[in-house]
Amino acid sequence: MNMDTAPWSPRVARLGLIILLVFALIEGRLWSLQAIDGGRYLELSEQNRLRDYKVPAPRGVIYDRGGHPMVTNRPAFTVSVLPMEVSDPQRLASGLASILGVERDELLARLEAGRVRPFEPVALRRDVPKSVVMTIEERRLDLPGVIVQAEPVREYLLGSLGTHALGHLGEITEEELRAKPQYRAGDLIGKSGVERTHDTHLRGENGRLRVEVDAAGRPVRVLSRKSSRPGNSLVLNLDATLQGVAEKGLRGRTGAVVVMDPRSGEVLALASAPTFDPGLFSGGISPANWRQLTADRRLPLLNRSVESTYEPGSVFKVVTGLAALGEGVTQRDSRFECTGSLRLGRWVFRDLVVHGTVNFIKGTAVSCNVMFWQLGRALGEDRLEHYARALGLGRVTGIDLPGEAAGLVPSAAWKQRVWKEPWYPGDTLNMSIGQGFVLTTPVQIARMVGAVATGGKLVRPHLARRVLSPDGTEVMVFGRETEDAPLTLTPAARHAMREGMRAVVEGGTGAAAAVPGMAIAGKTGSAENPRGIPHAWFAGYAPIESPALVVVVFIEHGRRGGEVAAPIARALFEAARPLLAPQPAGLVRP
Amino acid sequence: MRARRLREVDWVLIGATILIAAFGVVALISARHGSADAASFLRARALHLSLGALALVALAATDYRQFAGAWQVVYAGTLVLLASVFVLGDTRMGAQRWIALGAFGGFQPSEVAKLALVITLARHLEGVKSLPRLRSLFPFALHIALPAVLIVRQPDLGTALVLLAVLAAVLYVAGARAQDLAGVAAAAAVAAPFLWRMLHDYQRRRLTAFLDPGADPLGAGYALIQSKIAVGSGQIFGKGLFAGTQSMLRFIPEQHTDFVFTVVGEELGLVGATLLLGLYLVWLWRALRIAEGARDRLGALVATGIAAMVAFHVVVNVGMTVGLMPVTGIPLPLVSHGGTAILTTLAGTGMLLSIHLRRRPGS
Repeated sequence: MNMDTAPWSPRVARLGLIILLVFALIEGRLWSLQAIDGGRYLELSEQNRLRDYKVPAPRGVIYDRGGHPMVTNRPAFTVSVLPMEVSDPQRLASGLASILGVERDELLARLEAGRVRPFEPVALRRDVPKSVVMTIEERRLDLPGVIVQAEPVREYLLGSLGTHALGHLGEITEEELRAKPQYRAGDLIGKSGVERTHDTHLRGENGRLRVEVDAAGRPVRVLSRKSSRPGNSLVLNLDATLQGVAEKGLRGRTGAVVVMDPRSGEVLALASAPTFDPGLFSGGISPANWRQLTADRRLPLLNRSVESTYEPGSVFKVVTGLAALGEGVTQRDSRFECTGSLRLGRWVFRDLVVHGTVNFIKGTAVSCNVMFWQLGRALGEDRLEHYARALGLGRVTGIDLPGEAAGLVPSAAWKQRVWKEPWYPGDTLNMSIGQGFVLTTPVQIARMVGAVATGGKLVRPHLARRVLSPDGTEVMVFGRETEDAPLTLTPAARHAMREGMRAVVEGGTGAAAAVPGMAIAGKTGSAENPRGIPHAWFAGYAPIESPALVVVVFIEHGRRGGEVAAPIARALFEAARPLLAPQPAGLVRP
Repeated sequence: MRARRLREVDWVLIGATILIAAFGVVALISARHGSADAASFLRARALHLSLGALALVALAATDYRQFAGAWQVVYAGTLVLLASVFVLGDTRMGAQRWIALGAFGGFQPSEVAKLALVITLARHLEGVKSLPRLRSLFPFALHIALPAVLIVRQPDLGTALVLLAVLAAVLYVAGARAQDLAGVAAAAAVAAPFLWRMLHDYQRRRLTAFLDPGADPLGAGYALIQSKIAVGSGQIFGKGLFAGTQSMLRFIPEQHTDFVFTVVGEELGLVGATLLLGLYLVWLWRALRIAEGARDRLGALVATGIAAMVAFHVVVNVGMTVGLMPVTGIPLPLVSHGGTAILTTLAGTGMLLSIHLRRRPGS
């Protein structure tokens, strides 16, 4: 036997070869993992350890025109969850439901929705009490992926005052997110009021916190920090005192108030009733509260000053009157015979009152339907439509509030298109007293009355006055925006209308709006509506010689404007008296 | 005489052993970096390596033929030891594999059994000059099957599989026909479904997770996904020693034991991983050279068995880490934490040295 090779040697050598081949296979696998796919795995390992948290920017403060803060922020805690770290959503939701006081199914739905972006924290409940934060910290190990972040929430210093003008916040929806790519999921965004229209000014810029976490998702160290930039502040034209008077007037009723400077369009008060507590939304509204708000048949979420349209009733007679005066159909002293009714072919239009012989002024003061029917008939629907449109009806005013309705100024063509019926002379009569098809919003009426007061200028009503940076420097000023109404009213016509409206307040249907020592012009309205008791309107302005204030009060089913709306207007005129000191442009500056 | 003997020692094998053990210490430091018990882990490792070195020297100095004296007694003792686990054993991590040894921690009979069975099997085969038929393999298959079943019951599937690998390698070198071994493998494949039924649910999940770790990313597939991320993210040169984020931030569970190779892959990259694999290859090359040059059939078979044992450990452990093989939970020799395993590997190395020192002249 050869001493150098034992019989088993070749077999050992082959075994060695097999081992070598298997090692080569492993080396090949290492090559593929590390050399070829290494970059991808490096990225995955970074994703493992890096968490970018949003540092929410405090929203800008909202001030009234006097510089008094109306909406600020207060620090609060938000409980969020990182979806990627939740292995058992069912269990987590069960554990958190009792701690957070949120229904399990809702938590699950939020977790599920958040799985699209597994590294973004999903807010489960905002503004939780400290006791909840402590409970979560104590049970941290049972709650993987749950984080508590400090996040400022909105504080409404005046409670529900100005709710509809100020608006409320809510979490951005998928739909909004698609339209606004600069926002991120989970961001709070203005849902109504100026919070919504001026959201870009108010929201600021969120910061980012890059944190290294361990496998359990516990933060190990902060790697980088980008501070948030607080949002800009917004100074409104609203006057908190006047707003308070407006809302007091509406208390217990359903309706709206608009107070505006007709020269500039500055909105001094804007109220809608019933209202709600915007603070309910600060920490994300609970399903129970949301159900209650949306199920309320009085629709508290609806901003009646701009979003709903109503028959203007006799307030529309301002349009008819101006058209008649402007077109020479009537003069100040033209006489009308009021027998309490008007015959049109085989139809008889009846009023409740027989006024006897009236001139234009008296007829306006007592809101004589018969006179305005006659004027309307003489004018025809085209000219009525033209004047109504010239005074801004039938289209949005452009006020800086969301959801503004356009209203409706009917025409023969419109009726044919929508109702498939011709325009009847009776329609013209109805229209001339603001009945029938005409629909307006309170803010449109305010602008219309403002145009009458100032001689034909249509201003754009606006709530925002100035935008201030967090350090107080002025970023933007919202000035007066007007358009010329295509009306050429003679001074005589304007004076006649003004006199008629003055007579409304001085002994006419709107006498309840009168304030001693203040020259007020106005018009009341009781708008018949098919849904029951008539709506009550008062729309007026003051002082007559140098108009600085338009007041519109609307009460749903208030029956008589003179009895229900006019007294509220009077309170507003009184309260606004300090603001009426002569000032050439705008009112008091903060 | 003594100087001549020292020159006869296989210094390459010793060098490879020391370097692999050094890799292990560094990997352990990294895997336990920053943890409160890092120091105690290091102390334990130092103790295991020292005891192992003593065993290595003692076994190298002893004639290997002496181990094989009363192989039936050793075999029976091994079976008793394995069975004693079910009576005396501690249950750790769901398995009853350890016997508590006070200050020394635990003792894992299945680890010692591997080495003992290599010897008894080699001794059992020593007198058999040929294995002409499939049937002639049966006594040896039974030799391994008995302890293997006991080990599977612990449950420790990985170690049982090591025994099968050792059996195959030793039988092959002993002269079994390749087609007969293939027949045994085929029979094992047929028996697999029955064995599958004996497994615990978690074992089945672990065994199948490597095929699609993404199917259960936070359960059975988690460690696999994270270990692939760790190794892959090391790229060519690694993230740097003690700079592996997967390691430092504990993304890999039980990293200091079964998944210790991820530390090397992540922190030292392809270069470091290849270096470690290269050291194992050197070790295995020396072990197989010792088998080739053994004075007698017993020495050759013992050396082959030890080499097969270590090779199987390395291949299965690293293969599992890189997602090539199922997770069976067997340690990476001299690198993974585990006293008995380190002791066994060093004792095996001592035996190799003993065989080498008493090799055929001229080989």
